[in-house]
Amino acid sequence: MCPLFSNLFEIMIPKLDPTVIYEIVVIVFLACWFIATVLCQFRETKISWFIRYKIDLFNLIPLWTFFAPHPGKRDYHLLFRDKITETDYSEWQEMEITEERTFWSWLWNPEKRDKKILSDVVQSLVSSIPSFREKTGNLNLLMFSTPYIIVLHAVSQCKKRSQNCYRQFMLAESSGYQKETKPALILLSVFHQI
Amino acid sequence: MILFNDISQTVLFILCVGLLISTLEYLKKVEIFSPNGLLSWNVMQLKWTKQDQKSLLKPFFKLFSASGLTVLFIIRCLLIAGLFFFPLQSTTGWLLISLLGASLLVASLATYYGSDGSDQMSMLIIITLILCNLPVLSSSKLRDIGLWFIALQACLSYTVAGIAKLVSSEWRSGTAIKDVFSTKTYGSKKATLFLKKYPAANRFLCWNVIIMESIFPLCLFLPWEFALVFLIWGFIFHFFTAVIMGLNSFFWAFMATYPAIYFVNHQMSWHLF
Repeated sequence: MCPLFSNLFEIMIPKLDPTVIYEIVVIVFLACWFIATVLCQFRETKISWFIRYKIDLFNLIPLWTFFAPHPGKRDYHLLFRDKITETDYSEWQEMEITEERTFWSWLWNPEKRDKKILSDVVQSLVSSIPSFREKTGNLNLLMFSTPYIIVLHAVSQCKKRSQNCYRQFMLAESSGYQKETKPALILLSVFHQI
Repeated sequence: MILFNDISQTVLFILCVGLLISTLEYLKKVEIFSPNGLLSWNVMQLKWTKQDQKSLLKPFFKLFSASGLTVLFIIRCLLIAGLFFFPLQSTTGWLLISLLGASLLVASLATYYGSDGSDQMSMLIIITLILCNLPVLSSSKLRDIGLWFIALQACLSYTVAGIAKLVSSEWRSGTAIKDVFSTKTYGSKKATLFLKKYPAANRFLCWNVIIMESIFPLCLFLPWEFALVFLIWGFIFHFFTAVIMGLNSFFWAFMATYPAIYFVNHQMSWHLF
């Protein structure tokens, strides 16, 4: 190569030793990560949908809108009952998930995981209900969604009355310590053989 | 030997305290991953429907049982314990944090439901520290860039949370905090009674959170003595969300970003006044 061009290259492009190459790669990666995070906040767009559901396998793109715009104002409850005969059903039983916290919860709070799982699952179910209604006119296909199966699986593991048991579950919400609002039904399943 | 005059090391130390608590909490609740549990892999694997995803995840299938994850969480605790003794910039320290990062990434596939913003912030910090402290290849400039990234992500998180609250009528009207505190999931009976007795406190708290979160990035540009106000506010805010709402892991994950904010503030060549 002409010495002039060679000198020019050296001036324009710093010596590409492995440290510089690595530095550039990491900077580009972090910049893309930051831009992707900004793009995925607030309203869902085609780009944010693509990033979140097609690229982000490990859930690395956060959504920083904590408790906004709609703060979680409800406690979720998961109840189930069994069909004993065609006309006879067991009492509704609640799966104990919304336990009150202890004094040490500010430091040690393992119970928060169960509550968050149920809350995530219920929110995922609730948010998918309109699209199922719109597509099929009913909620039959909702039974094949992952959140529905998670809930059904959880209730089906509770003690059965008989070997061939039919179980129904109910998702309900209440307003916790505010007693003014009555508990409300979110979803009532059909009876499933478990 | 660990030296706390290194900012990245301080970030890692604070984060490790939170991760240790969080991992021990998962160990306590490991039955949620058992065949009878809420996050049983028999069910959770249905989320990964595509064939290429399934083949990618197949090596981890045995790991996602309750016993497999128990082993993973115990190993994670040992890795964290090791990080209290080996500096991040040593080869051993870097290997420990890389294995810790790998364990967090793998477990995130099984904990799709139930993880929260603190888990994401922890993951973000760990990956940044791994990339920016690779022995031999990483320079001090890259370590600085890593701290900038952590500080900017922290500021972005507060601003996004603040703006999202500002556009919410429930937050502007001052009812949001009372409503959240009245749930058994994130609230407390005492806080509910207090806010019922002093309704003005609702409005004050809502607007306090909206304003401080929205303008939080100012802490990068203000002279340090003023920037400190934001960090003290953040400390109090996260402490009370831990006490009242039980969000203990947020406290450690977000406190870990504060040394990076301190670093960026001191690197700024100019300040607002």
